[in-house]
Amino acid sequence: MTLQQQIRSARMRTLLVIVLFIVLMAVIVAAINVAFGSGYGLIMGMVAVGYGIFGYIAAGSIVASASGARKIAKEDAPELFRTVENAAIAAGLAKTPDIYIIEDPAPNAFAAGRTPDKAYVAATTGILQLLDKRELEGVMAHEMAHIRNRDVRLMTLAAVMVGVISMIADMLLWSMIFSGNRNSNDNNPLGAILAIVAIILAPIGAAMLQMTLSRRREYLADATAAELTGDPEGLARALYKLAADQRPLAKVNRATAHLWIESPLRDNKGMRSSMAGLFDTHPPLQERIDRLQEMGGFTLPPIPKGAADA
Amino acid sequence: MNILLILIAVIVVVILLWLVIAYNGLVRLRNEADQGESSIDIQLKRRADLIPNLVEAVKGYATHESATFENVSNARAQALGAKSLSEKADADGAMQSAVGKLFAIAEAYPELRAVESFVQLQTELADTEDKVAAARRYYNAVVQQFNTKQQTVPTSFIAGAFGFSPREFYRLEDDADRQPVKVDLN
Repeated sequence: MTLQQQIRSARMRTLLVIVLFIVLMAVIVAAINVAFGSGYGLIMGMVAVGYGIFGYIAAGSIVASASGARKIAKEDAPELFRTVENAAIAAGLAKTPDIYIIEDPAPNAFAAGRTPDKAYVAATTGILQLLDKRELEGVMAHEMAHIRNRDVRLMTLAAVMVGVISMIADMLLWSMIFSGNRNSNDNNPLGAILAIVAIILAPIGAAMLQMTLSRRREYLADATAAELTGDPEGLARALYKLAADQRPLAKVNRATAHLWIESPLRDNKGMRSSMAGLFDTHPPLQERIDRLQEMGGFTLPPIPKGAADA
Repeated sequence: MNILLILIAVIVVVILLWLVIAYNGLVRLRNEADQGESSIDIQLKRRADLIPNLVEAVKGYATHESATFENVSNARAQALGAKSLSEKADADGAMQSAVGKLFAIAEAYPELRAVESFVQLQTELADTEDKVAAARRYYNAVVQQFNTKQQTVPTSFIAGAFGFSPREFYRLEDDADRQPVKVDLN
């Protein structure tokens, strides 16, 4: 696929995932109605939406503090600063994002902030040591692509939707346990069983959708980054180097994993079954490198076996 | 009869909606192209501002290179006087080659390369080159979208009527030579 085709296909798939999300929400609301009547659903829905709004607002400030990042000025790291400035110009952003450095030997980087004006990028000291200028340009262009494509907002929304769906499911499950058989007596039993199945499957489905969306946006950010730098090979080389590095990040949690250039979590390495793949926030690095190779018409050697397949 | 009226009303509303969306899309791209062009201007200006200092720094050491200095000053004057996009691109190319020659001369003077302010100037200029290139990529990408939209159906039906016209790309003469160098890891 050419770059434009990849960008288009990533956008289409994003749309599809969002539609599926909405369908899932509708399914769980229907499950409530079938099992309990619509009055119940309204109250739960309001509680869940309130929780969702709070989560969305709070999510913006959590990320930086959780990752232990320190804001820098141009004098502190001129090379990094210039690279980010250039990537911002190429992306047509009105303002260069704030730049943070994280003291961590594990090489990684992320972008955050819901709107381009409030966006910031962060890089670990590890990645600054590992990559040369061209590779760093690729990585920073990838982060700038996340900012320009509004991925942070999208993924925050997805995380909140997953939270809301699991919360409704939890509440339903508990209320069923406490209310005993009362409800299933005056409604049809088949409906109640279907409702229980929906309650159990909906949160799992939502989490899987979230991860699919996250992987789609990674491919899109790679393609956009290649467009911004005009050099897919720089990013591919960076990913190649990152693949060889097995160190997990010191301070990271599952909630913010989708923000990083490569998955910061390494706990599931060694068991790459298709099941594990469903819950990964990032596509395999080899697959990402392959796509960049297709765009740029160059060839890197395959990632050596035994290297982390993040 | 009623159904026919409703159908016509729906079609009219859809067409109007499309008109609004298509028109706004074209305006957005035109504004982005303007923004991209001014971003190029800012970086070109920044480079032009660095030139006098650079010439002064080199002049102190290389006294017999007046032709090169003149070349650089001419390129700078050309850059500052450029009005149209193609004039700016031409001046940009002239400036690049003139500055390149100036740095080639500086190579012959180790004392000069040891001066910190000169090294700083060199870094700043290299960075400005990168920024001009970044601004250029953004501008050209937007212009490509803008022009494609005006030339493809159905937007092509309204682009001319609303006074949109295709934009010129920002092209350097030696564009082919400016691709990143391919290196094989093997």
